Amino acid sequence: MEKVSEAVWTTGDLLERLERRMRFFVLDVRNRHEFERFRLEGREPLPAVNVPYFEMLELGGKDEMVDSVVAYVEQHLADQLPHDLPILSVCAKGDTSEYVAEGLRRLGYACANLEGGMKAWGAHYATRAVIESPDLAVYQVSRPARGCLSYVVASEGKAVVIDPLRHLHPYLNLARSKGLTIEKVIDTHGHADHISGGPALASETGASYHLHPYDAIHPMDVLPATIPYEPIRDGQTFPVGQHELEAQHIPGHTLGLVAFRLDDRYLFTGDSIFIRSIARPDLGGKAETWAPLHGRSLRKLLGLPGGITVLPGHFSSLNEANEIGIFAASLDDLKQRNDGLLVLQRESEEGFARYLLESLPKFIPAYVDIKRVNAGLMAPSEDDASTLELGKNVCALSQAYKPSGGETR
Amino acid sequence: MNQPFDKLLDARGLNCPMPLVNARKEIGKLETGQVLKVMASDRGSVADFQGWAKIAKNMELVGQETEAVDGANVYVHYVKRTA
Repeated sequence: MEKVSEAVWTTGDLLERLERRMRFFVLDVRNRHEFERFRLEGREPLPAVNVPYFEMLELGGKDEMVDSVVAYVEQHLADQLPHDLPILSVCAKGDTSEYVAEGLRRLGYACANLEGGMKAWGAHYATRAVIESPDLAVYQVSRPARGCLSYVVASEGKAVVIDPLRHLHPYLNLARSKGLTIEKVIDTHGHADHISGGPALASETGASYHLHPYDAIHPMDVLPATIPYEPIRDGQTFPVGQHELEAQHIPGHTLGLVAFRLDDRYLFTGDSIFIRSIARPDLGGKAETWAPLHGRSLRKLLGLPGGITVLPGHFSSLNEANEIGIFAASLDDLKQRNDGLLVLQRESEEGFARYLLESLPKFIPAYVDIKRVNAGLMAPSEDDASTLELGKNVCALSQAYKPSGGETR
Repeated sequence: MNQPFDKLLDARGLNCPMPLVNARKEIGKLETGQVLKVMASDRGSVADFQGWAKIAKNMELVGQETEAVDGANVYVHYVKRTA
């Protein structure tokens, strides 16, 4: 057994173990609905079992939680829990799972508690350097549980932040520790799956905030955004020290989606090309009309130099990361293995649009509200914001979402 | 909601699982047919009391509501002892 006997794992410990493919078993004690909506996922399927804590309490039948856990496990669960693997006890906020972990340790299991629970895991951020030199640095700031990626591009002490996520501390901390001034904040598009940190980060740092004007109109409400922004033009350039980010308008996932090219080296694709898959065209509610547009935009990107490194806006599985935990691949590489790009290269325009429409995952109703929040048309409380963002993004075509382990009882 | 109750359990400020653990203890002290009103500040208690009611042998969830008290949401559960 690997060294994992600690009684508490932080979300950082958890990420490290998931990335290193360390084996462990998940005991998730939230209710079934919460478990089905948002569960722990690793590079490989994780063995997991879901038993709501109130079932342990009621069926264990003792007054105190830990005593009930002990009784419940002895009577109902012992045959499903491994003795040869560490067990991670998980709940919504990390309090109840602590009682459960205590009960399991009393029975001799190597059981740890996930500190802060799924709420903390959903808000965990990781920052990795894609490149870090005096002349140019690119950092990938990810929210692993949600599959969201954002970027900080820096040169000569100046930084541009692309698609910042809701919590600002990763960007502010990075800027502080590297001595960077954040001059510009850019959203590649009006996001549907997560609340943008863009306007707040710009206002916090005094930077300007940039968005394509087509995405400053809510596509369903057909109402203009109330947030202040500077409109992005196709072909517009944004200097970063010695370098330049060039906007490429690539409508499809949204009408105002913009990719950014950093010299011939990096391509920030936003929600167009991901590693495993490509973005869905239906989150504005106009799948039929936007699908052909999406196809044409993707073909435009395929014409870029093949050696350019794609840095996407999302991933669907930790398994898409390279060995150092970064989500990036050359365009040439993706032409050989990205599900959507493979179809794009062999299909006609009509055939590809048909493929897009046949590959749409379920529509997520909360995404309509998230777009409202990002346009400044709604202002949720912290609790509501956290609920809106619950779970992994569903911005890619359905091929990206294969089930990855975990049984309900 | 104008649900009559026999006893009040104020579990505001307590983290999960304590509102439910304490409610279960208090139910045990009631007579059959009596109702316990539980006040909790944890939003997760709403779904958890519903899930608990589905499997519990001696109680029924007869009502739930959300009240705003001093600007904070309070999640109220009415639990009746049935056996």
